[in-house]
Amino acid sequence: SERSPPGSCSSLDTMAHANMNAMFPSGGFFDDWLILFEGISPYALADVGIGISIGVSVLGAAWGIFTTGSSLVGAAIKAPRIRSKNLISVIFCEAVAIYGVIIAIILSTKMGTPEDYPANTAADCQSPALLKATWPRLPGDGAACQGSLYMKNLLFAAYAIFNSGLTVGFSNLFCGICVGITGSGCALADAQNGTLFVKILIIEIFGSALGLFGVIVGIIMSSPAFIK
Amino acid sequence: AKSGMGADFIMSASIVDVYSLSCPASAPFFGYFGAAAAMFLANLGAAYGTAKSGVGISGMGVSRPDLVMKALIPVVMAGVVGIYGLIIAVIISTKIKAPSMDNGTMRPQYTLFAGASHLAAGLAGGFSGLAAGMAIGVVGDIGTRALGQQPKLFVGMILILIFAEALGLYGLIVALIFSASPTGTCAE
Repeated sequence: SERSPPGSCSSLDTMAHANMNAMFPSGGFFDDWLILFEGISPYALADVGIGISIGVSVLGAAWGIFTTGSSLVGAAIKAPRIRSKNLISVIFCEAVAIYGVIIAIILSTKMGTPEDYPANTAADCQSPALLKATWPRLPGDGAACQGSLYMKNLLFAAYAIFNSGLTVGFSNLFCGICVGITGSGCALADAQNGTLFVKILIIEIFGSALGLFGVIVGIIMSSPAFIK
Repeated sequence: AKSGMGADFIMSASIVDVYSLSCPASAPFFGYFGAAAAMFLANLGAAYGTAKSGVGISGMGVSRPDLVMKALIPVVMAGVVGIYGLIIAVIISTKIKAPSMDNGTMRPQYTLFAGASHLAAGLAGGFSGLAAGMAIGVVGDIGTRALGQQPKLFVGMILILIFAEALGLYGLIVALIFSASPTGTCAE
């Protein structure tokens, strides 16, 4: 990529120079600030979404497990009978992590590799200045320049996968924390009065439904998209 | 409906960039982020409401186990707030159109105007759901604890919870109005 010559750093010159010389991987030029969203490689954006979906879900599950587990062992000091029944609260938190794993696997099957990325083989597809001269058409009708626009069309799928992972990850985070707090209350109440276990478990079931909502939305969002 | 690019692209000729300022390639980011925000923000509110009222119910249930089933109402209302978020997210997601292959070029179908309106819908519904869930949580916690000591407070607690739930409903209505706004078409 070309750089501004030294000494030519007034902001207008830089903008004009950037306009001519900055071509983003998605095949766009710096015309307005929206290029910031288009400049991120679609493969990177989608992979970050997959990472968020599993990483943040597992964070929520862990948060819930330590919250409920610490109350469980504390309350079981004086009431050891609650040990086995209240492990179900820990399992509800674990389910949240499983949701994240499932969505991460589903989203990762939508990822292709750049091996299909058509290469810019012609000499006149290497220079952004020449591309800009004929934009929106590609030089030579684009038979050898397909890569310039290839990435831009992957962006839709990348946005869908990223936001799907964001939804699932953060929904599961909040669900895990909720189920953990409620499970902690369940263990403490069960230790004092054994009949309360099933009633407080109903609250945990409402809580774990929140993770399922996130999974449903994540699947609906990502179903029309794939990056190949 | 394929939105990725496969072998079809390689076989086409006369490749043109038809993305424009009214239909940029980045428009779906805003729409999808609106749907995501609606879901996870409403989920945060619902989680807060469920957990906070759950703690109150567990505390109250030790002294009055017979009132626990009545006291589950704040938990149900918090769950409904989560469902509001789900509804908004699904409605927005289904309105986001993928680019379609037409004669060798991928043409965008989703305008930036639509992206902005869907982002607004998601944020409006999501933050309203967060607010409603927080209100339901605080009221449910202290309301159930007070219910354990004075069962006549049941109707009063329900009335306060209904007003709190209405906040989430306002957000849902506004989000549906935004997402139903006319979006325009992309240039041919």
